[in-house]
Amino acid sequence: MGPALSRVALADGEAQGHFDPMIRLPPPKPEILARRDGILADLGRLLPEDAVIGEAIRLRPYETDGLSAYRQMPLAVTLPRTTEEVAAVLRYCHANGIRVVPRGAGTSLSGGALPLEDAVVIGLMRMNRILEVNYDDRFAVVEAGVTNIGITKAVEGDGFFYAPDPSSQLACMIGGNVMMNSGGAHCLKYGVTANNLLGLTFVTIEGEVVRIGGQHLDAAGYDWLGLITGSEGQLGMVTEVTVRILRSPEGARAMLAAFSSVEVAGQAVDAIIGAGVIPVALEFMDKPCIHACEAFAHAGYPLDAEAVLIIEVEGSLAEQDMLLNRIKEICDRFEPISMKLAESAEQSLAIWKGRKGAFGAVGRISPDYLCMDGTIPTGELPHVLKRIGEMSAHYGLGVANVFHAGDGNLHPLIMFDANDAESFRKAEAFGADILRLCVEVGGCLTGEHGVGVEKRDLMVAQFTPRELALQRAVKSAFDPGWLLNPAKVFPLEGNEALAA
Amino acid sequence: MQTTFTAEQLRDPDTAEANKILRTCVHCGMCTATCPTFLLLGDELDSPRGRIYLIKDMLENGRAATELEARHVDRCLSCLSCMTTCPSGVHYMHLVDHARRHIEETYRRPWPERALRSVLARVLPRPGLFRLSLRAAALARPLARLIPGRGTTAQRLRAMLTLAPAALPPRSPMQEAPLHPAEGTRRGRVALLTGCAQKVLDPTINEATIRLLTRMGIEVVVPRGQGCCGALTHHMGQHDPAMAAARANLQAWGAEIEGQGLDAIVINASGCGTTVKDYGFMFRDEPEAALAAKISELAMDVTEVLDRFGYRPSREAPGLTVAYHSACSLQHGQKITALPKELLKRAGFAVKEPAEPHICCGSAGTYNLLQPGIAQALRARKLENMARLDADLVAAGNIGCITQLSGDALPVVHTVELLDWMAGGPKPAKLSA
Amino acid sequence: MSAALDKVTAPDTEEGVAEAVRAALAAREPLAVEGRGTKRAMLRPVQAARTLSTRALTGITLYRPTELVISARAGTPVAEIEAALAEKNQMLIAEPPDLRALFGAEEGATLGGVVGANLSGPRRITGGAMRDHVLGIRAVSGEGEVFRSGGRVLKNVTGLDLCKLLTGAYGTLGVLTEVTLKVQPAGEATGTLAVRVPDLAEGIAVLSAALSSPFGVSGAALLPEGHAPLGLDGPVALVRIEDFAESVTYRLGRLRAALSCFGEVSMLEGAPSRAAWRAVRDAVPLGAAPEGAVWRISVAPSRAPGVCAALREAFPARLLLDWGGGLVWVSGPATAEAHAAVMAAAAVAGGTFTLFRAPEALSAAVAVLPEEPAPLAAIGGRVKSVLDPAGILNPGRMRAGA
Ligand SMILES: Cc1cc2nc3c(=O)[nH]c(=O)nc-3n(C[C@H](O)[C@H](O)[C@H](O)COP(=O)(O)OP(=O)(O)OC[C@H]3O[C@@H](n4cnc5c(N)ncnc54)[C@H](O)[C@@H]3O)c2cc1C
Ligand SMILES: Cc1cc2nc3c(=O)[nH]c(=O)nc-3n(C[C@H](O)[C@H](O)[C@H](O)COP(=O)(O)OP(=O)(O)OC[C@H]3O[C@@H](n4cnc5c(N)ncnc54)[C@H](O)[C@@H]3O)c2cc1C
Ligand code: SF4
Ligand code: SF4
Repeated sequence: MGPALSRVALADGEAQGHFDPMIRLPPPKPEILARRDGILADLGRLLPEDAVIGEAIRLRPYETDGLSAYRQMPLAVTLPRTTEEVAAVLRYCHANGIRVVPRGAGTSLSGGALPLEDAVVIGLMRMNRILEVNYDDRFAVVEAGVTNIGITKAVEGDGFFYAPDPSSQLACMIGGNVMMNSGGAHCLKYGVTANNLLGLTFVTIEGEVVRIGGQHLDAAGYDWLGLITGSEGQLGMVTEVTVRILRSPEGARAMLAAFSSVEVAGQAVDAIIGAGVIPVALEFMDKPCIHACEAFAHAGYPLDAEAVLIIEVEGSLAEQDMLLNRIKEICDRFEPISMKLAESAEQSLAIWKGRKGAFGAVGRISPDYLCMDGTIPTGELPHVLKRIGEMSAHYGLGVANVFHAGDGNLHPLIMFDANDAESFRKAEAFGADILRLCVEVGGCLTGEHGVGVEKRDLMVAQFTPRELALQRAVKSAFDPGWLLNPAKVFPLEGNEALAA
Repeated sequence: MQTTFTAEQLRDPDTAEANKILRTCVHCGMCTATCPTFLLLGDELDSPRGRIYLIKDMLENGRAATELEARHVDRCLSCLSCMTTCPSGVHYMHLVDHARRHIEETYRRPWPERALRSVLARVLPRPGLFRLSLRAAALARPLARLIPGRGTTAQRLRAMLTLAPAALPPRSPMQEAPLHPAEGTRRGRVALLTGCAQKVLDPTINEATIRLLTRMGIEVVVPRGQGCCGALTHHMGQHDPAMAAARANLQAWGAEIEGQGLDAIVINASGCGTTVKDYGFMFRDEPEAALAAKISELAMDVTEVLDRFGYRPSREAPGLTVAYHSACSLQHGQKITALPKELLKRAGFAVKEPAEPHICCGSAGTYNLLQPGIAQALRARKLENMARLDADLVAAGNIGCITQLSGDALPVVHTVELLDWMAGGPKPAKLSA
Repeated sequence: MSAALDKVTAPDTEEGVAEAVRAALAAREPLAVEGRGTKRAMLRPVQAARTLSTRALTGITLYRPTELVISARAGTPVAEIEAALAEKNQMLIAEPPDLRALFGAEEGATLGGVVGANLSGPRRITGGAMRDHVLGIRAVSGEGEVFRSGGRVLKNVTGLDLCKLLTGAYGTLGVLTEVTLKVQPAGEATGTLAVRVPDLAEGIAVLSAALSSPFGVSGAALLPEGHAPLGLDGPVALVRIEDFAESVTYRLGRLRAALSCFGEVSMLEGAPSRAAWRAVRDAVPLGAAPEGAVWRISVAPSRAPGVCAALREAFPARLLLDWGGGLVWVSGPATAEAHAAVMAAAAVAGGTFTLFRAPEALSAAVAVLPEEPAPLAAIGGRVKSVLDPAGILNPGRMRAGA
């Protein structure tokens, strides 16, 4: 990092074994670092005074995102308020060969919004206006910095909602959701972000503003909307999003079923889906997770269970009864330890309470956790959990598993101590082993959190070098100079575009 | 989150406490979206997570605060919305209190600001002085529009003059009396913190509290020697005056506990309630630790006491719709959310809550004087949400909010005034106007 | 086109497909890529010396009903996949149409064909498009290289999603050799409500009311005059529910009550309901004349009546509305004037169009898809040269010279 940005030295001899788990980033461009003051001055001319941040003290909080183990100070931070301002910054950076890192709410769990030393961060949190809500055609147009829940809040009074609901929905922004193709507990029924979009205002690295899609379904021509969704800021920036909004169901209710083994719980899931019942949510928690949640939320989860399923159905009261009874009958065949059908909305909330607080609960029993995000074929769950248990013993680190059982998305929460270098390295290695296992059984590295920097180097486990080259080339078609969020998604090895 | 304090630094108990808090934060960012200043300013630096990170960096490096840290920490309302949101239980309040103190001790603010802060710290907690200055302000009020300039100082002066009421209510002999015996059989005995600024601005709140409690068979004492809870100075990072104010209260209430005993210390300004409930923490390393912990346990919001002693209305339902404004110190600071609404419903009011109930109205103690721009924007946002409810009046449990929200379309009263009215007390004057 | 018929290669392995592409590349000869090659005259004509067909590349390679996934080689007939799914009471969510009648073809579509053209039927409105359910692909690039994207799990955001890029690319970016789809249980029962409406605007209002209800409508179409089922004349709005029998009964009842303010509501259940939707899916009520042209226009539903009025003013248009009114099927004379009217109507309504079926004389002469904004067109050109650097896959299929 440049001299102006270096940390104030610690008191003498007090290194304390503190460590910097620095992620490897491409070498910064020296000519850009050297021009830092000039660049700040130029940005200051392009944007209002309060939209450019350059002081080291004020840049510090932007050095990381939801994956705080990795940190890197940026060159500058900009906070534009309009599409035109975003375009102006991109045009300037493009003309001057300056790298950019887009940022939404910074809740990425894969280090997607991690800055680079020679990069300008473009934060869209000020673009937080709802531009249009249209009930006749059931869409809403919002700026990229509107929070996920903000969309639902804007329409729920009229009985509508925006379906994808990542657990971070209170904070994460729709622009970030588009770029990560975020999912949520209810995506088994309603799909992920990609399935709920109609259009985007997209700004290319050259600063050109283009509208993609619109207020209609299935634009003709190449599916740019689909390609850009989930592209992790590699292809351009999104400033406005047109989302579909749906009418809320009449009601929803949850049930809880506890089983004596992971296998049996998995069989119950298979049987439910095999019987043609697609619940809106189907969540699985393993024993360590049940214990963590129970200690925190006192939701009444059975502590002797090896696995708990939380199942939610929707519809009128009679339909909920019908579905819950069907599911109960199926579960009965697998000799559950206990079952609890919510009788009311309050009881549903109580059942969900522990699950919703799972991350926080683990955060309370362990100083830090790494949240993994592989997907596996659901049938592989027992095998995968057994192997994860063995790895946990091998690394000596605790792990709690939350699993979106309907769609195979597995979230192992690896518990470690970020102040202990050894513990952190073990956690990283443990995480990598889990993800390789996911790929090995036919799954993938990430179901919803994105590759970011975190899983970048594991991409070789899932793709051949030629496949990676092809994806890189598609990125190059949008961003020939590799200025957009470089160092993410693709391994650094063999990437000439980022070599010094 | 990782921290890099040295062993030497961690020997300081306050730093050790800060480290403990920082270590519970996993930097997930959930708290950002419910922070009023982040909503308005859209900058990580004006969000809880950003402030936590700024504070972490400042403390880890053991460096003196600069204008930059002061700017972003000063903008924090201490509304504690972030604590309600945080899934990991990060105690932001203790961290930011510590940071404010560090800033106060290591950073010298520009003189107009220093002057203003010292005046506020000296005047507000002293009812006599405060009354005098409000008189002066009332005289100067028409001048507010004439103050030129868009600078912070000019804005602050205008805010002060605008917030000062045009006419002061008369002194209330009732709230000065040391003892109010219970009507009928005595069912309990409580001390009432009559407060400092509230006493001057709106004595009817204390009067309604006393009437209602005594009517319910509860003896109310107003102990000599109690005064400001210390929150005003505490939130400005002025450690010693805050501790001195709190200590005076400890003594006053300690004497009552020793004497005839207390079932509760009743607080009807939730901002003060949050602080008194935190005395146990503030004095954790002081000789008065045990007494302070006991007092924090006894401290109760007036609604909690009313519920405990079985509040019942005696009048017919008034057919009015109340827009209930949840004071931050009540909902986030003390986690009292449903109870006041429940009591109002019990009293016969229809109760509605505005959109964004978790967002601060911008009052926040002295905040509306020190950060008038943000405070005004939050006030407008709150009033706009209130206006959509089609209510007859607004109720809140904190004098700061009441002052902040007054002067718009709807009358704003304290919850306890309504509860007293329905239980036989007089109709609040503001409703008759 | 006719030249291509002489040289059809239909490999039965992926490697065979790759070899065929490499051979074409070596010979610098463009390839017409197709499934069963029954609809070569669609979109724009491909000027290619050889044809590469995936018709021999058949077979379901993986089907896990409880995991809701099915994989099959690209040449597998859609009908075969649907039959396998039906055995387990499951279905293709996007309900791809069978357009044999519309195109006068004998053979049915292949999986590669419906994915290559991103074809979705009525369920698209709430169930998602074909592209929404493509979980993974295997394909051969224009350099004759096999590559994969996505996988066989329901949730996957690993790397750039090339599945989306190839879905709907009409074989111009690669030859699909295998596709993995998300599938769903088929509704146990189905029922349809039909409301006679005075005009299209009122019909859209019915569909909008139904889609804004909490009853999980899975089809919302508007049939033109003279094509209504049940012998109702005049435009008819159709609304479908598919679910467990108890739910269907309950929801039809509630919806019927809710829609009765628009006029008399009649009900179709079971087989007649299924038949009605099969007809809508396959554009039968459009009644397109064999020699005419067929367009599809996609707009926000509330804009559809305006589009229809403009078209009727311009030429004797026949119409069919699906997707709550958001998909307008149009048939009319295969003339440049009619095409210009379609382009204009779509543009005015902020929507998009496809010249879906037309004699070569028209399709070769006009833009069959809307122009893209210049920056996107430039990116599109670069993406094409990444996946097909020599430009040998389906040249001119989507746009002249591309
Ligand atoms: C507690 C917690 C729970 C979570 N739960 C879920 C969950 O259930 N499901 C899920 O899918 N995810 C979850 N996440 C991950 C995260 O919230 C999502 O990835 C989210 O979409 C990120 O949004 P953001 O606004 O924070 O984006 P950021 O983290 O700021 O950015 C994400 C990526 O998108 C890029 N980006 C952001 N905005 C733009 C833009 N406008 N234009 C171009 N590029 C942009 C960034 O460069 C970065 O690569 C969770 C995270 C946390 C902390
Ligand atoms: C522009 C266009 C729009 C159409 N719209 C519709 C519609 O809305 N509804 C409808 O029912 N039918 C539509 N069709 C017809 C549709 O193609 C056929 O119903 C279906 O594709 C028939 O399958 P097939 O095997 O005969 O495909 P073909 O006619 O052989 O191929 C269709 C398209 O898919 C491509 N393709 C085929 N196989 C592969 C492969 N393995 N890898 C990559 N690309 C491949 C072809 O190159 C061609 O562009 C459309 C066709 C085109 C060209
Ligand atoms: S206390 Fe309020 S203003 Fe301060 S950081 Fe927390 S939410 Fe924001
Ligand atoms: S919500 Fe809590 S853990 Fe998350 S960033 Fe805020 S304070 Fe830290």
